[in-house]
Amino acid sequence: MNIPKTIALLASLLAISTQIHADAVGKDVYSKVCVTCHATGLAGSPRFGQAADWAPRVAGGMAGLYQSALNGTPKGMPAKGGHITLADADVKAAVDYMVAAAKLPKSEPEARKEEPKKAEAKKEEVKKPEAKVAVIAPVVPPSEAATALATTASAADANSFNRLLKPANKRNLPPPEDGIHDPANDGTHALQPPLTAFGSLPKSLAGNRVNWVEAIAQKKINPRYDRNDPKAEPIVMDLNIVREVKGSMPDVVYPHKQHTEWLDCSNCHPAIFIPQKGANQISMAAILLGEKCGVCHGKVAFPVSECRNCHSKKKDMAKVAIPAEAGK
Amino acid sequence: MKKLSKLRAGFLAGLIMTIFAAFFVDINDARAEYGDVVINNYSDGAGMRPVVFPHWFHRMRFRCKVCHADLGFKFKAGGNEINMVKIIDGQFCGACHNGEIAWSVENCNLCHSAKPNTPTQVHESTVQKLAQPTGASKK
Repeated sequence: MNIPKTIALLASLLAISTQIHADAVGKDVYSKVCVTCHATGLAGSPRFGQAADWAPRVAGGMAGLYQSALNGTPKGMPAKGGHITLADADVKAAVDYMVAAAKLPKSEPEARKEEPKKAEAKKEEVKKPEAKVAVIAPVVPPSEAATALATTASAADANSFNRLLKPANKRNLPPPEDGIHDPANDGTHALQPPLTAFGSLPKSLAGNRVNWVEAIAQKKINPRYDRNDPKAEPIVMDLNIVREVKGSMPDVVYPHKQHTEWLDCSNCHPAIFIPQKGANQISMAAILLGEKCGVCHGKVAFPVSECRNCHSKKKDMAKVAIPAEAGK
Repeated sequence: MKKLSKLRAGFLAGLIMTIFAAFFVDINDARAEYGDVVINNYSDGAGMRPVVFPHWFHRMRFRCKVCHADLGFKFKAGGNEINMVKIIDGQFCGACHNGEIAWSVENCNLCHSAKPNTPTQVHESTVQKLAQPTGASKK
């Protein structure tokens, strides 16, 4: 009998408290996430509490501001400040908090805030003929620039620089934020975040951003060669295989040494590579599709973006050039 | 009046649940650590979260040879048909995850930690990128 009432009470209490604490959430998110850049104005970001930084942006409308915060901008704002697991509402609360802290002349942010929801209310408040023309009405001259910015924002996203590359703040994320692990799973939070382990390891430009071969060479790590015996030593074979390749691309030097430090002969021979000179047809297409070298390179070992790690032996250009000269 | 309050309660509860759901269910592009393998041969069917195998964590402790030669793991995500019976029997993961070399199978949620319905994959692999360009729906 009382259960529905209790639920209603709890629910409404929760709803009310959510509203009341929206400001608190905004402050919280700001102090944990946004503060990294917005405190000092890193990468040209509008600084916290600086009205001059915020005025032109707020003039462009809160909707545009939310959009930039949620989806990022080509100028450097990462989507949700790089914390993609944040709820949209929390991000917006943080934006509101920062805008409020900028203490802009009252009418502006208030009028703008209402914009996305109540177009009519906006018209009344603005009371200017231009308001009818543009959705984001210019009130003061500087807002014209902001309007242009806001309207081109979506188009600029499509052409944003290095759109397909992962920005630095999205690499090596801790498990609850990495997009694969379920943050609702208790075990996820017990897992080690990669960066806490990678700290002292030599860096590379791709993959985990760790140079694993160097890590062993520098004795930063000493992974076991045997499951039970920590003292087992790998059987290392130091033999380079040179593969001549077409065109002007440097020839490939395949080092058995680095591979046998990690692997056993049987891992590659004979299933993936026939141990005989000239017996293996290898192409970049096959590698990209996960065959030959691509069985590991592009999955766990460094990916094919690191061309010169393999294509490392310069061709004798004199020899290459002679036939061309003779042809003339 | 009572009916109305009931209705409202239901609505509010629904609203709150939606908010919570939006908080936890994050439909973003998957972007785990390079080389993380998701194995979902049987997990979804068994009502468990799929398994995430972190290559980086294991290669800091063991060379490839230990698992891929000695223990017989094939170089193929989901290609080993691992199940809990085999693991408890000491095969595959169970060769180490036995409470002696590494923690044992009662820590279900440490491995079974992927978001439900995540397909089997080598995460961030070149093949994955070629087959599913950025922006494509991940299904």
